[in-house]
Amino acid sequence: MDARRKLFRLKDAYSDNGDLLFVNAMKEICKFEYEHCQEYAELCRAVSFKPDDIVDMDSLALLPVIPTLLFKKHTINAHGCGLKITSTSSGTHGNASVISFDLGGLLCGLNMVLRLCRRHKVLSARPVRYIVMGNKMHKDNKTAVTKTAFGATFFAPALSRRYALKYSNGKYSADLSDIIQEVIQYSHGKAPVRFMGFPSYTYFMLSTMAQKNISVRLPKGSMILLAGGWKQFYTQQVDKAELYTLAKNVLGIEESMITEFYGAVEHPIMYTDCKNHHFHVPAYSRVFIRDVDTLKPLGFNQIGIVNLLTPMVKSTPLLSVMTDDLGILHPPCECDCGINTPFLEIIGRCGLQDIKTCAAGAAEILKKTEF
Amino acid sequence: MILANGKINDSSKQNEVLSTIEDEINLTRQTLTLKSDIVIRALNQLAKKVENGEYNQLITSVLPVNAENYLSQALNMLSLENLESKMHYELNGYQPYSEFLTPQTNGKRLNNQVLPLGTLFHIAAGNVDGLPSYSVAEGLLCGNVNILKLPQADNGITIKILHELIELEPQLAPFVYVFDTPSEDVTAMKKMAEMCDGIVLWGSETAELAVRKMAPVGVKLIEWGPKLSFAYISGNFNCDSDLTKLAEHIALTKQLFCSSCQNILLDTNSDDVVKSFCDRFFPILNCAAEKYCSTSIGSRAENTLKKHCEQFENYIYHTKPLPYNSTNCSITISQSPNLELSKLFCNVIVKKVPQKTLLGTLRKSKHVLQTAALICPDSQRELLADLLTRSGVTKVTFSGDMSAAFIAEPHDGEYSLRRYTRIVSIEE
Repeated sequence: MDARRKLFRLKDAYSDNGDLLFVNAMKEICKFEYEHCQEYAELCRAVSFKPDDIVDMDSLALLPVIPTLLFKKHTINAHGCGLKITSTSSGTHGNASVISFDLGGLLCGLNMVLRLCRRHKVLSARPVRYIVMGNKMHKDNKTAVTKTAFGATFFAPALSRRYALKYSNGKYSADLSDIIQEVIQYSHGKAPVRFMGFPSYTYFMLSTMAQKNISVRLPKGSMILLAGGWKQFYTQQVDKAELYTLAKNVLGIEESMITEFYGAVEHPIMYTDCKNHHFHVPAYSRVFIRDVDTLKPLGFNQIGIVNLLTPMVKSTPLLSVMTDDLGILHPPCECDCGINTPFLEIIGRCGLQDIKTCAAGAAEILKKTEF
Repeated sequence: MILANGKINDSSKQNEVLSTIEDEINLTRQTLTLKSDIVIRALNQLAKKVENGEYNQLITSVLPVNAENYLSQALNMLSLENLESKMHYELNGYQPYSEFLTPQTNGKRLNNQVLPLGTLFHIAAGNVDGLPSYSVAEGLLCGNVNILKLPQADNGITIKILHELIELEPQLAPFVYVFDTPSEDVTAMKKMAEMCDGIVLWGSETAELAVRKMAPVGVKLIEWGPKLSFAYISGNFNCDSDLTKLAEHIALTKQLFCSSCQNILLDTNSDDVVKSFCDRFFPILNCAAEKYCSTSIGSRAENTLKKHCEQFENYIYHTKPLPYNSTNCSITISQSPNLELSKLFCNVIVKKVPQKTLLGTLRKSKHVLQTAALICPDSQRELLADLLTRSGVTKVTFSGDMSAAFIAEPHDGEYSLRRYTRIVSIEE
């Protein structure tokens, strides 16, 4: 069995002694990319890196770190991977990354999801009603977040699926008032309700309900699953504690029944928060935090740009990607949840994109003006 | 947080507050008159308190690094003398509530009166701390009731400033309402818009489109920006003192304002002149960028990522290596003469635009032109300033003054106070 498959079949999703397996899998996929992806080979040569340079965890820091911005500007694929499935990022700030996944990578992903869901008690045989706080699937929508949200509606058998964002006339629009009515109706039933999707929409729905003095008690087993980040509502990001309090007051859902996921199409590893709401690094991934000026790796408890590593995908060189998130890596001893791997704290996004400058607005006008 | 009638409320009270303010505002408009001298006195008192260091802790927490110069300019604008001058120049000598008679026509004549526009709904941009408060202050100077929707990026300073102002002058309380409503809450925004006579919109085209959709028919839309600004250099390509001032302006404003220099247009046709200019300007810009380098970890990270990405693109696609590029700043030479947005944060674009093609080039950006810094020999200044204003530029400055504050300065080519007032006529 190859190293990648072995890694993704590790019984413990948070194994803290899988470094050797991880390094071997990274080396294996790095060799593949070097031989099958021209762009990756060019990069390696430019930074004087060869797959054989991977010898231990420290050496992984020397891999070319591809910024997600590069995937947003160029499609980069490896050949010789057989059947591929394509997904895109949500393109919050403009262009979207187009990432292809090989069948072997998808099977690895399936193993990972099952192990992590079981570990975090998200899998259930009891039928539930899903309310997806995100986009409804549509043939024109290839975003990974939409596919992930839809996929998550199989964690427990679905009695029904309702979507907060509906597709009509070529665009999505929010339908929160209908969703709130639906929530009220479900509170009178027996089936648990599962909310799945963007934290911003979930928070907005909860605060709207609170403002209108609507408070219900959803059936036992109801759950909130948050994924997809805060996107364009980043500046409205509330303290997570406020969201948990709102969920308790408005829906009767306890904090222990709220789970958040973190990931990206360019790093398709399902980070799942622990009971203390920390994103521990699963066995299939590693994190370097890099200095914002020099990109040199930093130690624990220092803020920098989040660099994520995984050998999951062959068809696109996602071995080591630089996200546009700012974060801190904490040592395992800072969390008493029982998971013995470091945990990642996301503290914001690089840049000031959220502040719309008037000059940037003018640029939009210029782009649309035909001369 | 919400500020209504001088009291600070939690955001969750938004709908409760919104359900009552129309009656409150109607009562205010029916029974109260806000004279500009009251507002001027309050603003001046606030400025004096700032000068005396009473708000140092608050200001230090929000003021960008090395921005003391802009703060002192802002305080200077709030002096009694300057506020009175602003009123005088902008309203052409007619204070709000002043009256004047028209000449008789066939034995009839009108008594004209300058009045506040009424109720203003301010939708403020988040690129300049203090701008939302400034917008409300201008509305108050004309005697208007002001409803302000805060930008998402507001750091809490606006409500603090306006609350302090009301503490200093309680008569202002019924004229100020501030909401931190998210832009997605269209129902609440619509309700605010329905109560107003004018919508003051600072910001992007996206915001403008959204406001146009929800604005009641007939409401006066008062739009400021979005705009682009640039420097035009003719003849004096090597004047280091001017180039230093320009570089410091770029570094200090981080190119975030409408009046910030995005492009440097050179009066030449020669690539050699452009290269020689960049050779000279790059170290000057780099020095300014280091002096005023951003302390924001987010913007530094974004710049590093962009440069890292460009470097990888060069490796893979063998594009030319980037000249004039450092950790803190960059100069890009563009072959297109048309104005464009830079990458901001000290990343300026240099273009060739000879004088004879300047007007035609700028007209392609006519809807977004604002400030031009003009660097040229004294003998050519009048001619070139005239050419720039004929092209549609609304302000021509010296190299370092693009974002400087001037007394009685129009904004985007218009006096704001004139837009916040109306003239009514009563036949005598």
